[in-house]
Amino acid sequence: MTRGALVFAFNNEQTDYVAMARWSAGRIRRHLDIPVAIVTNTDPGDPRVSGFDQVITSNAASGGTRWFEDYQSTVTWHNAGRVDAYNLSPWDHTLVLDADYVVCSDALNRLWDIDTDFLCHRKAWDIKTGQALDGLNTFGQTKMPMWWATVMCFKKTNVSQYIFDAMTMVRENWQHYRNLYQIDRATYRNDFALSIALGIVSGHTNLVDEIPWDLASVLPGTKLEQLDHDYFAIEHTSDNIRRTLGMSGTDFHAMGKSHLEKIIAAC
Amino acid sequence: MDTDALIAHSRARFDHAVARRLLKEKYQARMLFAYRGGMWRAGPELQTTLLTCPDATAVILDLYENPVQVDTKELYAQSQQRWQEQMNAWLVEHEANNQRR
Repeated sequence: MTRGALVFAFNNEQTDYVAMARWSAGRIRRHLDIPVAIVTNTDPGDPRVSGFDQVITSNAASGGTRWFEDYQSTVTWHNAGRVDAYNLSPWDHTLVLDADYVVCSDALNRLWDIDTDFLCHRKAWDIKTGQALDGLNTFGQTKMPMWWATVMCFKKTNVSQYIFDAMTMVRENWQHYRNLYQIDRATYRNDFALSIALGIVSGHTNLVDEIPWDLASVLPGTKLEQLDHDYFAIEHTSDNIRRTLGMSGTDFHAMGKSHLEKIIAAC
Repeated sequence: MDTDALIAHSRARFDHAVARRLLKEKYQARMLFAYRGGMWRAGPELQTTLLTCPDATAVILDLYENPVQVDTKELYAQSQQRWQEQMNAWLVEHEANNQRR
């Protein structure tokens, strides 16, 4: 059974996701020792995508625009193509990672040994506070449980195909599902589509196999710096005290793209 | 990173409470291991379960609630080894954090 990582990267007005994916690919190879494929609209002959094992060309599918706190601007969000991961993946067993997911350990290698078709994170927590991201672990006015599409591990099986097909159905009928789940935001979001799809495929039991640890996250308002290859520091102010925290060997979701871009530019 | 940034870092207060949570999350993930097609979390709970099994083999539920036939002594040994390795590493990091101001 072949296995590898799949990273989606479509640049927008503000963020160079291809550079982010390239940086990420190096970390994935180093820690997980698996090949990395990029899904992008960048020309395969472009030197910026030369570092990937496979370059899969796809059109940028916009899910709308989104306000990014760290950029203080609204940018186009080319996120709607993620539902094609099942069809685009060249591997039998695929790890789909956001370009802004920072791999610092081999923890994700444990997922290959789990005897299940599809895995993702159920809960995220904020590294700054050590607390669960309660506001982001649910969606819609009825606070439906949210599964995160940041990391998805799937085998090419019927169950996985049903999940991605259901995500496609949600994307193509986004307005309907927005109304049904009472989602305020107009912008399509993969996490919402995945959560709705998992609800449908599980027969609305929400009994879903999940990654057996929570998703560590650095929010956009938190300053992030890289002090060594796998040693990152966050810095924030609370109670008028500047606080720092160093972390090594912990994978995390860097939700503040601007901080991550600075780190990558400095490499 | 330039000198000013390093000085600024050294002056900021280290967040001990969050560092403890971070270590807990990190090492909880490292307790996981695969055995005979099941996924297990090394630790006292699994080891106590195995100690209650009088026979050489037993069928017990893995993390995903799948029944798996296991060699109780073999799984116990793997769990015990991983648990102690990771707890030792956890202690080293915990003590290093405690030295920070």
